[in-house]
Amino acid sequence: MKFLFTKKKYVITGIAVIAATGCIFLLSPTKRIDFNTEVKPILNKKCISCHGGVKAKGGFSVLFREEALAKTESGNPVIIPGDPNGSEMIRRLTSKDPEERMPYKHEALSKNEIHILKEWIRQGAKWGDHWAYLPVQKTDAPDIANNWIHNDVDKFIYAKLKEEKLQPAAQADKATLLRRVSLDLIGRYPTQTVAEQYLKSNNDKAYEVLVDSLLASPHFGERWASLWLDLARYADTKGYEADGGRSIWKYRDWLIHAFNEDKPYNLFITEQIAGDLLPDPTDAQYIATAFHRNSMNNDEGGTDNEEFRTAAVIDRVNTTWESLMSTTFSCVQCHSHPYDPFHHEEYYQFLAYFNNTRDEDVPGEHPLLREYNDTMQQKLKAITDWTKKYASETEASNLKKFLRTLQPSVNSTTADSLKNAVIANHNIQLIIRNHAVARLKKIDLQQKNLLVCKLYTNNRSGTLKLHVDAPDGPLLASVVLKAIPQWRYEYIHLSSQTGVHDVYLTYENPTLPADNKSFAVSFDCFGFIEQLPGKSVPGFVKIEQSFHELLDAKVTTTPVMVENPSWMWRKTNVFIRGAWTSKGKEVEPAVPKIFAYAMPAGAPKNRMGLAMWLTDKRNPLVSRTIVNRLWEQLFGTGIAETLEDLGTQGIPPTHKELLDFLSWKLMNDYHWSLKTLLKELVMSATYRQDSKLSNEVKEKDPFNKYYARGPRVRLSAEQLRDQHLCISGMMSDKMYGPGVMPWQPEGIWLSPYNGAKWINSKDEDQYRRAVYTYWKRTAPYPSMITFDGVPRVLCTARRIRTNTPLQALVTMNDSAYLDMARHFAYRMQEEAGKKTEQQIMKGYELMLYKPISQAKLSLFKGLYDRALRDFKNDRDKTCEMIGMNDQHNNPETAALVVVANAMLNLDEIVTKW
Amino acid sequence: MTQKELQVQRLVKEAQEAYLRLHTRRHFLKESAMGLGALAMGSLLGGCGGNSNAIAPVAFDPAHPLLPKPPQFAGKAKSVIYLHMAGAPSQLELFDYKPELMKMDGQDCPPSLLAGKKFAFISGVPKMLGPQARFAQHGESRTWVSENLPHFSTVVDEVSFLKAVTTDQFNHAPAQLLMHTGSPRLGRPSMGSWVTYGLGTENQNLPGFVVLTSGGSFPDAGKSVWGSGFLPSVYQGVQCRSEGDPVLFIKDPNGMSRDLRKASIETINEANRQEYAEYNDPEILSRISQYEMAYRMQITAPEVMNINDEPSYIHEMYGTQPGKSCFANNVLLARKLVEKGVRYVQLFDWGWDAHGDSPNNAVNIGLINKCRTIDKAITALLLDLKQRGLLEETLVVWGGEFGRTPMMENRNGINAPFKGRDHHTEAFTIWMAGGGIKPGYTYGETDEIGYSAVSGKTDAFDIQATILNQLGFNHEQFTYYFQGRPFRLTDVGGKVIRDIIA
Repeated sequence: MKFLFTKKKYVITGIAVIAATGCIFLLSPTKRIDFNTEVKPILNKKCISCHGGVKAKGGFSVLFREEALAKTESGNPVIIPGDPNGSEMIRRLTSKDPEERMPYKHEALSKNEIHILKEWIRQGAKWGDHWAYLPVQKTDAPDIANNWIHNDVDKFIYAKLKEEKLQPAAQADKATLLRRVSLDLIGRYPTQTVAEQYLKSNNDKAYEVLVDSLLASPHFGERWASLWLDLARYADTKGYEADGGRSIWKYRDWLIHAFNEDKPYNLFITEQIAGDLLPDPTDAQYIATAFHRNSMNNDEGGTDNEEFRTAAVIDRVNTTWESLMSTTFSCVQCHSHPYDPFHHEEYYQFLAYFNNTRDEDVPGEHPLLREYNDTMQQKLKAITDWTKKYASETEASNLKKFLRTLQPSVNSTTADSLKNAVIANHNIQLIIRNHAVARLKKIDLQQKNLLVCKLYTNNRSGTLKLHVDAPDGPLLASVVLKAIPQWRYEYIHLSSQTGVHDVYLTYENPTLPADNKSFAVSFDCFGFIEQLPGKSVPGFVKIEQSFHELLDAKVTTTPVMVENPSWMWRKTNVFIRGAWTSKGKEVEPAVPKIFAYAMPAGAPKNRMGLAMWLTDKRNPLVSRTIVNRLWEQLFGTGIAETLEDLGTQGIPPTHKELLDFLSWKLMNDYHWSLKTLLKELVMSATYRQDSKLSNEVKEKDPFNKYYARGPRVRLSAEQLRDQHLCISGMMSDKMYGPGVMPWQPEGIWLSPYNGAKWINSKDEDQYRRAVYTYWKRTAPYPSMITFDGVPRVLCTARRIRTNTPLQALVTMNDSAYLDMARHFAYRMQEEAGKKTEQQIMKGYELMLYKPISQAKLSLFKGLYDRALRDFKNDRDKTCEMIGMNDQHNNPETAALVVVANAMLNLDEIVTKW
Repeated sequence: MTQKELQVQRLVKEAQEAYLRLHTRRHFLKESAMGLGALAMGSLLGGCGGNSNAIAPVAFDPAHPLLPKPPQFAGKAKSVIYLHMAGAPSQLELFDYKPELMKMDGQDCPPSLLAGKKFAFISGVPKMLGPQARFAQHGESRTWVSENLPHFSTVVDEVSFLKAVTTDQFNHAPAQLLMHTGSPRLGRPSMGSWVTYGLGTENQNLPGFVVLTSGGSFPDAGKSVWGSGFLPSVYQGVQCRSEGDPVLFIKDPNGMSRDLRKASIETINEANRQEYAEYNDPEILSRISQYEMAYRMQITAPEVMNINDEPSYIHEMYGTQPGKSCFANNVLLARKLVEKGVRYVQLFDWGWDAHGDSPNNAVNIGLINKCRTIDKAITALLLDLKQRGLLEETLVVWGGEFGRTPMMENRNGINAPFKGRDHHTEAFTIWMAGGGIKPGYTYGETDEIGYSAVSGKTDAFDIQATILNQLGFNHEQFTYYFQGRPFRLTDVGGKVIRDIIA
């Protein structure tokens, strides 16, 4: 098989060469050198640290072909295609003079390596594209059939096993499969009905029926959202020093919905990258864009908002590549990529797609989507219809957008030319004293005759004036501010202007003390908009009142992406050596040249165009990335192990053809349906194998690279909590809503300047799935972190599984887990009657769907008896073990809690197998 | 030890060895085939623009991630105690004696010190603020120390002072992150994580990287300053607490005796052995050993964390307050921990910010009180380590995240009501002692008002490079492969400060 594949490749590359070089090498007896597998590794290992990316010593770089063939400092090129003996490169690699011989002061290349390079130069020194950067090709499954093979996935796996002289394992038993596939697809145990139906059925189709019902379960979305939250660096706080709260849980709920409804993956991505740019976007489409509002927001006193806005944009670039394309783009922030074909400038071209959103790292996190309920929606519609009727479609759409997002608004933190005014702590808001002057730069006043200004003042009789172009320029508006001790919207009518102007704000208040020490007014933001039309038409008053009511309404808000209008457009520059303060050449939005072929014709140069490029079937990385990720979730390791990097530095895939086969299917046959893809994977014989290790497999394939056995990996932090909740019978089925606070020890939250407290949730909210746990970036839920959860500060493509004593301490001693053990014990008693053996047997079956072995039964019975002795002699201990609960306060129950606690610590329960 | 226990121990050991062998071989094979290190291995390339000389790569064994490992070369120090005064203490009231500044007290700050500069809070033209403490020279090294640290003045001959440390971050959280993770942003591993990743730890019954906090609040950057970033989470700092459980979840549930817990773990492990007999997965053996280790940690950690059994003269020496949560207690704990083989002990004491907006953060009131809470303890730590013969192999570091301005703070253009100083990036003092550091030495100098470094300038990367060097690591070659490239603690900076090495 291997031979056949390889031969095929020769033929294909052979043809390419003929086309490219005009038959020069047609008669060559030597085999064709493959750049990617033979040459690139040598260059990467031996040359590139001095001749590529950051460094190009002697003016020579091997990163790109055009660089490698260009003239160097010596005035001559180092590589002359077709002429190895005339190429300086070969001369220097083979020189006897240690001052000349390359790699300088390092071990010489081996004869074989030199031979490869020589032959490669002789064949024309062609650069090859890395496999993951070439479009996904339709791949056929190997033509094999046998009894073990269940679907096409298995054909690829079987072919490789055969090559490695390994045999696949038999199918796992039903109980094992039930637990495995449930934890994998819905991250918890299914309902009793679904479980029993499967276990009792003799039908061949029973497994498929089970899989279908799991895929249709509302819990499916909860499980897969957990995965996405790491990629989206989702948290309920803003990060950095203050790490204050952020209301963005609607995005988490959006994910759950999206997975449940099997939103096609291309649409799933499009909405997250550019939902706000869809025509008349729905609330859900706006909320999807919170994907990139999960970047951090720095509220620490004295920080520079522009610095951290830039940091957020950079994070969005890196996250987009890492999460959707398994590519490490962050290197390119500072210099051309050392190994992969990305130029420094391309980083900033890509960044330009993200550089024109309205968010500016202000504490209020504008723009926020305001979600209106049905009544409010009706008002919104009335206002929109009115505006359509008496003005225009465009004005109606502008007003609607303003009411939903307050955009476009100018953040008061951007005010300058300040007199008797400061930006509080350099970054919070504009605050002014008497006789203040402040400038708002370059405001588009064309047809803008209303200023909606969010401000606070508790001083009466102050006059706020707005002037055009100078503090004493033409008057735009003048208003006496009322004293109201709360933040409010001030509606200020403006005189007609045309074009873009600086607006100067002045404030005079005769009632303020002469020393002028205290601040009089605080401003949040300024929205310059078109006022409601139809002022003279009956009914206007009601419409205007609705307008004010909507803005004043207390609603759930979510940070979302909103694009800058043209008058607020930011230029994007290259940052020299990655430093945001040293701006280089100006750039336009573009994708790296190597992938530009996948840019659809007519794609706009904004995030929507970017989304079109990402989801174009010619994009080589997006489909491979998600296939690889889903595979890893089920099998424990990706087809390419480095989920974070499919580039030349990543670990090459073990089954590249399978990866391509599934990626092509996903985009074409499955129409981007992740559920269909998952079904294909879990229906395979490969997935259904028993996970027992034979000594032979243990020796030949200790890491299960070839899949001669089923997956066997420790549960994720989320799966573990959810599984234990199910077993204890306490799992709440409540879905959605703000993050909850299950029990955690005292003193985990102690952020400075932040009075936020962890307050244990009540009742059923104590027993919600892990995905709903409130996530504070600087102090995440401790037991989940111990089980390799990630802080979600940056996009994390892969959790590294560890095995530590601290994990044992969590499942043995954490009060949350002890509580589950107690309820598990009560459940055993309720469901199995009075006899201890029966209770333990029942408990084991509740955990693993199968009967306990005699040996384990006597072990646990032994522990029970041992514990019972303790408790019979000590009423206080009994009481403590039960947690003071009267109903269960007896030595027998206490002893059973000890047994339940032990059972919930078994390797077979913390592991998926 | 019973026959069975011996057998299990042997099995576990065999499994560990086999795992390590396979692991190493697999990566070795990949190494030859692909040319570069994999995730689970310190890469052979030295970070961005580093040089490609290979030294012993660090192997990561997910089954036994904390076993002791040899450094790249023989280092002087085996463990580190890092005392971080969160909030940034004023060098001008402690170590950097500036009589010239006194002469300028109350004058407007010269424009040359403000032009093109950025401060966290100062705006407009602030007034200069002279030193708010008296200074004297101490020890054979004739080191200037202020009256705020009378005890510490007696041990200056053990210490190397870095008087011209600089940073480029003028806010607490980013500056603390830079100091401990090499980056002002969240997401990079902390120094303790790097060190335990590289060296493992001596005592498997205790965490390898312990964090102790005092002062009523976490450092501004939160737990990220002891986070493991992209390293496996097993290397994150474990916070040990002087109130509540010393280590989270270390205490058995109420009502469960130690004997019963032992029986329970034996039951779990026996059931796991039965599972191993059936499934043959070495990971099960690893789990068995983790439960045994957890049991031992449950005994060891509370013992170590209990300072009550220390003799009274030790308590007196450190100035502890038994039963309370305070810095002095934590310093004593730090000594106990390194004595027991903990690799890296990180202390944070919160409350050193000194803006002058209240008496508590005035450099002539609050700062003096803060000094009283640490003076005896830091002195005792050096003496105590020395008398135990531990100072030679324990590197002690003291410092904040930046310095304070020679100007008085005037937030939003208004003079602070008390004497306070703003954040200052251009000069501050850090000291190191033990672990092969030159005793009684001062490196680096600031100008006559302590505004900027004039010689011997150092930064966070240099300090990190020096700490790693004392532990036996070349900071340029101690890397971890992540997001497609090798990362190192010192990013693209760092020079070992050779002048302070003995």
